[in-house]
Amino acid sequence: MVSALMLRERIKMMEWFLNTDLWHSIYASLIEGERWKMLLNGLGTTLIITIGAMALGTVLGIILALCKISKIKPLKWISSFYIDVIRGTPVVVQLLIMYFVIFASWNVNKTLIAIIAFGLNSAAYVAEIIRAGILGVDKGQMEAGRSLGLTHAQTMARIIMPQAIKSILPTYANEFIVLVKETAVAGYIAIEDLTKMGDIIRSKTYEALIPLLIVALIYLFITSILSKVFKRLEERMRASDSR
Amino acid sequence: MIRVENLHKSFKTNHVLRGINEHITQGEKVVVIGPSGSGKSTFLRCLNLLEKPTEGRIYVDDECITDPKCNINAVRAKMGMVFQHFNLFPHLTVLQNLTLAPTLLKLQTKEQAEAKARALLSRVGLEEKADAYPKQLSGGQQQRVGIARSLAMNPEIMLFDEPTSALDPEMVGEVLAVMRQLAEDGMTMVVVTHEMGFAKEVADRVLFMDEGIIMEKGTPKEIFENPQNERTKSFLSKVLS
Repeated sequence: MVSALMLRERIKMMEWFLNTDLWHSIYASLIEGERWKMLLNGLGTTLIITIGAMALGTVLGIILALCKISKIKPLKWISSFYIDVIRGTPVVVQLLIMYFVIFASWNVNKTLIAIIAFGLNSAAYVAEIIRAGILGVDKGQMEAGRSLGLTHAQTMARIIMPQAIKSILPTYANEFIVLVKETAVAGYIAIEDLTKMGDIIRSKTYEALIPLLIVALIYLFITSILSKVFKRLEERMRASDSR
Repeated sequence: MIRVENLHKSFKTNHVLRGINEHITQGEKVVVIGPSGSGKSTFLRCLNLLEKPTEGRIYVDDECITDPKCNINAVRAKMGMVFQHFNLFPHLTVLQNLTLAPTLLKLQTKEQAEAKARALLSRVGLEEKADAYPKQLSGGQQQRVGIARSLAMNPEIMLFDEPTSALDPEMVGEVLAVMRQLAEDGMTMVVVTHEMGFAKEVADRVLFMDEGIIMEKGTPKEIFENPQNERTKSFLSKVLS
């Protein structure tokens, strides 16, 4: 008897909920026309751009950092200039220039253009992170390596970098997380990333709150997973530090 | 073995070395003393080109190392250097600190290098610390590892840059003991130090440096018991009192 009553209560509550504006809004944003698939595709695009840009940014960032600390003046100047220009201009503008100017006459996949634009941007930040990490290693380490007859490159690879990596990793991880969020401006060149998809749903359903809230929550979810993973990595490194 | 001709070194406007001429022969133990800022560390660091001389020539085994064509890495491989702050590699174990350079430069196989490293560690009394990391060692132990690391390259010459200055007083003795033993074994040594006792006891020759030149040189007896230069006298009266 009691459970039947409770069941009826619950069904009533369900009915009430299914009649609320909130539910209509969620339904319209996600279920109607299988719009959740749009968000999923958008998320996929966002992740592809982020990972591709991070890979490009890391490789180029290492090269830029090595150039900036090298003794060869022209390399130093070029890399300093590059870093200053990239860090001194908005990433959206860089993206637009990449799409409407540099790749204007070529038929290149838009996602690839975004990867290049965000990768070139991220490289400047990664370069500074790596440079700071290398300069943070005690000068005596290089001297000790060189005094044993090792070359500059050997000392760099076997003595300096393994130590620098420990201070590089936390800020590098942060750059990764920043990049996930930064790619949200990809919509400027009509890439259908997560943010753009949320916006498309908004314009179709005339519901702003729910689609944008869901998009925000997905970003939050991704960034908190990344930050957990990196924290784990860092802890492991610190554990090996106190041995 | 090492010949220095008219060595000058400036850092920007600071003229640190003002013309040094010196000849260090094989097996000789030369101790460099002098007030801080006198250029003695800079002089030592010029000998393996950790500092690039602004002027002058340095010959090691008749090879002109100040010549831009000289392969300095090969010369450094036969000159060990011990630093004031040890500069051990913190990410490597003690054993790896000793074997890294010989194996990376393909002078020894991994097995040879490890055997040699263990022998050297027992020579400096630290064979049981082979698998420890530098941070786990005391200052004195770290510096003994530093000496062993240089010896692992089978150097012909050992340079010591104030090897005991960063140590707690009770650890100075253990490091000096290792250096004394090395001297007895006939190693060519150039030592910059404030340990006058060590200079008196071990040095074949003492160089007194001040204001970027060698003000006075001679046997420990000559320098410590009968200094000629006013500067030397005033310096010694300060450090020996």
